[in-house]
Amino acid sequence: MSKSGEQKDAEAKVEGFAQKLGPFVVAAETTRMAMVFADATQPGNPIIFANDSFLSLTGYDRKEILGQSFNFLMAHCADAEALAQIKAEFESGSDCGTEVLYRRKDGSEFWAALFISPVRDKNANIVQYFASYVDLTKHKDELIQSRMLIDELNHRVKNTLATVQSIVWQALRTNTDPAVIRASIESRLSALSRSHDLLTRENWKSAGLLDLVHNALEPFGVSGGRAARIAIKGENIRFPPQAALALGIAFNELATNAMKYGSLSNERGSVLIEWKIERTSEGRRLILHWQEKDGPPVTPPSHRGFGSSVIERGLAHELQGTAHLDYRPDGLVCTMNIPAPPGALDE
Amino acid sequence: MLILMMIESMLADLGCESIIAAATIAEALALIEGQVFDAAMLDVNLKGDNSRPVADALAARGVPFFFSTGNGGHHTMAGYEDRAILRKPFMFEDLTALFKNLLAC
Repeated sequence: MSKSGEQKDAEAKVEGFAQKLGPFVVAAETTRMAMVFADATQPGNPIIFANDSFLSLTGYDRKEILGQSFNFLMAHCADAEALAQIKAEFESGSDCGTEVLYRRKDGSEFWAALFISPVRDKNANIVQYFASYVDLTKHKDELIQSRMLIDELNHRVKNTLATVQSIVWQALRTNTDPAVIRASIESRLSALSRSHDLLTRENWKSAGLLDLVHNALEPFGVSGGRAARIAIKGENIRFPPQAALALGIAFNELATNAMKYGSLSNERGSVLIEWKIERTSEGRRLILHWQEKDGPPVTPPSHRGFGSSVIERGLAHELQGTAHLDYRPDGLVCTMNIPAPPGALDE
Repeated sequence: MLILMMIESMLADLGCESIIAAATIAEALALIEGQVFDAAMLDVNLKGDNSRPVADALAARGVPFFFSTGNGGHHTMAGYEDRAILRKPFMFEDLTALFKNLLAC
């Protein structure tokens, strides 16, 4: 197979170019920055040199690159705006380069920053263009990622603000004493904040039930040695963030009630919190019991307060199950029956 | 969860006698299938899913509704650009006005 005259000509130019520049060619060949030299004297500025980095960036062999027009790798060859940018880069060069979408041999696309400098002969005529490329794939991915994070954060902040609004709304609806209103808002904000801390430690992927219960009860156990009167038994079953926040609020309500009226309000009462996963006709369910004993005698409340609505309606709805409060004379029992989260193991 | 409870209690204050909430698209569609609603408030996102199927079901049955969202931007659902959007956190007066509007027509 005989080579065309044009191709021979191009190869001769490449050869001459490599010989003239000697050690610089070796340096350019081995640097990690993708580089090419293009012939400024030919139409289309054919490529006369491409280093290894450029080849690994684009997936082409050297022989496929040499002699090709400078813009043959552009993803959208007819993109007038990009062509104008490249032309401007050829004419003036800039400090920040221009961002161009290129296409690899395998068809995948990538963004690269393109920097072009003219190479002049001794008469100051431009004979070659030196172009270097910075692969922007990682940078672009990070931009997309950070945009997503900002959107997600904004969404979370708005939801948190609305949650705070609802805490304030409920406190004002059910109380008239400013001190009681303040205490009720503070207690719920603190519970919300602790759940946020827990979820933040887990990168907002999920939170374990055991951690959630410990986390919610922590402020109630610290004084008066109550920690020893609280028994918690169950696996650290993972719940998604929304469900975890709801559970955190529910356990805070239960503990607040136990402290004020229930088994943690005297010197000898205790609370047992235990759960397990059961196979039922409705599928795999998580059954949790909050069981108080040895507290003051229990009398069912005359009207349903916010705490019990949160558990029996709010939590039940959020977790797509049931939650029931049973005011037994010897101690309050709360029973939750909810679908086991995916991935939770049977006991 | 607390937000929903607040909305329920706001609506009860307005005199709504029956308030039913759905947490997922499937639940919402089943409810719409099963009974007649006077008005609806629809979060654009239900447990991470775009709630368009619910909007379509409500529109098909002629149930007046508006959207609620936690997003600050102008994310409107194509085809429903004319529907009102209530942004979280929302004012009691705005919620009241929107429902009164829906029920008046």
